Amino acid sequence: MNKIWLYIMLLSSLVIIYTNPSQALPTMIQASADCVKLCFELCAVYAIWLGLLEILEQSGLSARLAKLFSPFVKKLFKTNDEEAIKLISISLSANFLGLGNASTPYGIKAMERLDDKTGKINYPMIMLMVLSSCSIQFLPTTIMGLRASAGSASSADIVLPTLLSSIISTSCGVFLTYIIGKRRKKK
Amino acid sequence: MYSAFKKVPVYNAFVKGAKGAFPLVFDIFPYLVAIMLAVSIFRISGLSSLCIKIVSPIFACLGIPNEISELVLLRPFTGSGSIALLNDIFVKYGADSYISRCACCILGSSETVFYVATVYFSKTSVKKLSYALPIALIASLVSSIVSCLLCKVM
Repeated sequence: MNKIWLYIMLLSSLVIIYTNPSQALPTMIQASADCVKLCFELCAVYAIWLGLLEILEQSGLSARLAKLFSPFVKKLFKTNDEEAIKLISISLSANFLGLGNASTPYGIKAMERLDDKTGKINYPMIMLMVLSSCSIQFLPTTIMGLRASAGSASSADIVLPTLLSSIISTSCGVFLTYIIGKRRKKK
Repeated sequence: MYSAFKKVPVYNAFVKGAKGAFPLVFDIFPYLVAIMLAVSIFRISGLSSLCIKIVSPIFACLGIPNEISELVLLRPFTGSGSIALLNDIFVKYGADSYISRCACCILGSSETVFYVATVYFSKTSVKKLSYALPIALIASLVSSIVSCLLCKVM
């Protein structure tokens, strides 16, 4: 991450100084301002979902959900931490429904839980990252809405291709993670 | 409803959970600023259009039309940016064209990988992502290729 960030910033800065230096600072400030706005919006969304999580937690519903998913999650993530399994299950099920923003706070909590404080990434964390970055989508609600408002005659006809392609890409990601994870272990 | 049935103090629980939202956003804020700064400067400097010129022939070989290679490239970095781009595509080519359907599938089947990477790991002690990022990027490229292919067939 450090390297990528450095290269992007460095190269872009060089180019922008060469092409139009007057734009550099306003752009950066604009981006930062956008970010503050985004954070407030996120804060609103997260408050609702984290609140709901706590209710789920206390009613024992999340434990049930986790039980439902746990054989599957256990195998995929190779972890036995019940708390983590619970959070992963909730995060993934929110992802399936196209609620990307809802799954993020749960994902962050799961990552925190999986962290072993050694500063090194471990296998379940990678698996969670890969799974959440190419989530299987049953209903891409946002995009269907956008399409309908752009005057599409049949805004839902992208559901099936989207579902199929996300299943394929996710299994591809999981497969790669599995293979590489196994190799690393041997070393 | 289920909670009320189980006699859980629903209101208290909600408040307790929602309390965590501000610290959480507080923690991820610096990471978000960093990534958004990089993205915006990358776009405004014209480097991104250069990159698009370079990769679009490669993408064309993989079956991704030129018109949406910008979308494929931008997608891992910014969610709102790619949605704006999707709207442009709608206006330009019509919402029911092959290009638009492709674009929809690509957006639907992928995530903003870099955003996920920064935000998810913001609370952990992890310094290096090792092979997580490449795999996520490869998987999202695969989803783009498959989307284009499926839209052609279906």
